Amino acid sequence: MTNSVPARDDPAFPNISIIARREYRELVRGRLFKVSTLILITLVLLIAILPIGVRVFQRGQTTQVAVVAADSVLANRTIDHLRTFLPQGDRPYELIAMRDPAASIEQVNDRNLDAALEVERQPSGRLSFTVHLGETLGQTALADLGFATFATAIIDFSERNPVVGFEVPDFNVVRGSSSAGRGSAFDPAVFASRLIVGAVFGFLIFLSIVIYGMWVAQGVVAEKQSRVMELLISAASARQLVVGKAVGIGLAGATQTLLVLVPALAVLAVEDILAKVVLGQGVGIDSSLKALSPGLLLGFASYYVLGFALYAFVYAAAGSLLSRAEDLQIVALPLAIIAIVGYFQAILALTGGITVFIRLASYVPFWSPFVMITRLAVGRVEPWEIALSLGLLAATIVIVGVIAIRIYAAGVLLYGQRPGLRAYVAAARGR
Amino acid sequence: MSLLIHHLDKRFGAVVALDGLTFEVPQGQVFGFLGANGAGKTTTMRIVLGVLHADRGIVTWKGRDSRILPRSTWGYLPEERGLYPRMKVIDQLVYFASLYAVPPDQARRNALDWLARFRVPELAKRRADTLSKGNQQKIQLISAVLHDPEVLLMDEPFTGLDPVNVALLREAFLELRDQGKTLIFSTHQMETVEALCESIAIVDRGRVMIGGPVRDIRRAAGRRLVKLAVEGDHRLGWINDVPGARILRPGIDRTEVELDEGVDPDVVLSAALARGATVTHFEVAEASLEQIFIDHVGRPSDEETHLATTEPAA
Repeated sequence: MTNSVPARDDPAFPNISIIARREYRELVRGRLFKVSTLILITLVLLIAILPIGVRVFQRGQTTQVAVVAADSVLANRTIDHLRTFLPQGDRPYELIAMRDPAASIEQVNDRNLDAALEVERQPSGRLSFTVHLGETLGQTALADLGFATFATAIIDFSERNPVVGFEVPDFNVVRGSSSAGRGSAFDPAVFASRLIVGAVFGFLIFLSIVIYGMWVAQGVVAEKQSRVMELLISAASARQLVVGKAVGIGLAGATQTLLVLVPALAVLAVEDILAKVVLGQGVGIDSSLKALSPGLLLGFASYYVLGFALYAFVYAAAGSLLSRAEDLQIVALPLAIIAIVGYFQAILALTGGITVFIRLASYVPFWSPFVMITRLAVGRVEPWEIALSLGLLAATIVIVGVIAIRIYAAGVLLYGQRPGLRAYVAAARGR
Repeated sequence: MSLLIHHLDKRFGAVVALDGLTFEVPQGQVFGFLGANGAGKTTTMRIVLGVLHADRGIVTWKGRDSRILPRSTWGYLPEERGLYPRMKVIDQLVYFASLYAVPPDQARRNALDWLARFRVPELAKRRADTLSKGNQQKIQLISAVLHDPEVLLMDEPFTGLDPVNVALLREAFLELRDQGKTLIFSTHQMETVEALCESIAIVDRGRVMIGGPVRDIRRAAGRRLVKLAVEGDHRLGWINDVPGARILRPGIDRTEVELDEGVDPDVVLSAALARGATVTHFEVAEASLEQIFIDHVGRPSDEETHLATTEPAA
């Protein structure tokens, strides 16, 4: 006679849906949910109208750069050339000729000028440029100035050493979108939108996992602390309780995400119209939603659901061995760190291109929800990669789910000291 | 046709919680499960419910392994009272019943009936965190019976209740028994056991020290009691001079005198009369369960068992 053989027939339904419904209702009716939803909606709407706000703020502003040379002829000719090559975007460049380097640098330091560009002709005839930057200009402006001074130097050289038949070359950018085909023309507006969509989707999945995952752990601890767990565990199986709680809280989280996303998407969809109203006709703004496609939305939904499922199991198991809400901090940080490392890869994917390490990270189940969705938005992903990443994620959910339910079943009846790693291992082994 | 607990062993690390625990609960009876804190009562109940697994041994109900029986076979009132603090009483009762597949309408109707029976219909709309301990107890008992279980397992159901609520609960127990339910409860209150239970098991350190019908256990104890009251003398110091008799429990109203096996109770009465005392009460009774408990466990029922203190909530 051992404990391993018989098991009662405990079908998943309807208990999972009964438990999920209670969790959902209690959460959505709670004050925390209402207040946090309102705050998030306000925050996200502010972010959505930020590009227009920035344009309003920058309207009429110029980037002022002093071109400093002892020789006023050199200064004026340099200004003429630079005007040709500097892009005239949201903040057009205003170029001012100056003679005294020290005075121009002082103006930069006093924030009266954005930069001072010193130009000097070497005895060899070569031009030498030195840029004094203030804090108002970033990498893009520096790249603009670098390119424009280089072009100025070429023109200057060709004026002094006549070159026959030179023409400015075409410069076309094509970005590959799949292994088949040659890719499509690079549209900076679409790429900018891809970055925004990738950043928003990655961030939303990360935030949902960390916040709603903690709700799962908190819910388990609250049931233990109020001792209602004793009734629950005799009325339903550990599997029903864990899955029901994860589904209920997950749906509440998804509801909040939708409540926050829909108004934000609505604002972004009419971004161009809003820009024309605020900034005047003729001033367009590229929609941040240009890169949003049904495929990307499906990818977001899949990684959101699966990512949450995986972390919800982990948070439920982690919470089950705790006796008091104060002890939640023991599990909160280590679990958040796992997610943060994955999220960090996603940020790198956005800013630094897709490296081999990031490609590998996009298959790792605990990270793929953030990293793969970002890759899908900004990079090139083969179908087999998506299949591998989703397959690994689904398999891990099953394995982690089984272990989590074992830990939960053993853990929820244990009260007392703060558990260490050993306690979790023992619970997983059913001891 | 009974609940059979057969040779259960359970260890928690180095602590032995159950050590070959065996007893039988006849169907349709109120059964007292007695033992000091840490004796293994909660662990046994959790194994019957299937919440914990025994290392060895088996539990059967009507001949079937308890591990394959549906959860709805059992109703459970845990020792630690707990409800969802912010949920309305009626909502939680319906919720718990629905986990046992009771349709919500029926659960609501039955819950309101039970609240009325406990004379607290106004609690239905109240949040659990606004209830007194006694009222929470009633709600938990209702939640244990709403799905109409065959067996009710109750861990210390009378703890913390005032006499009025104890009486209400006792009444409910007998009513449930009359409906054919089997009730098992643990308690330290021997009076309640004497008033309600047909059978008992006394456990200590995970083993049954004695078990069976209360009448047989008392008879087997061999000892008898005399309850005596004498006008103008409540100390009754002279009794210790009567061979085979000693004062068990002194009292102002009446004093309990314990007699060794074979000693005729009339000896006490004769001794009192011989001293010229006016006897106002004389009653011959069997040994009390409290005394039987002490005889078998070696200490009163409300003292803790030290061996099991590291056992989780057992």
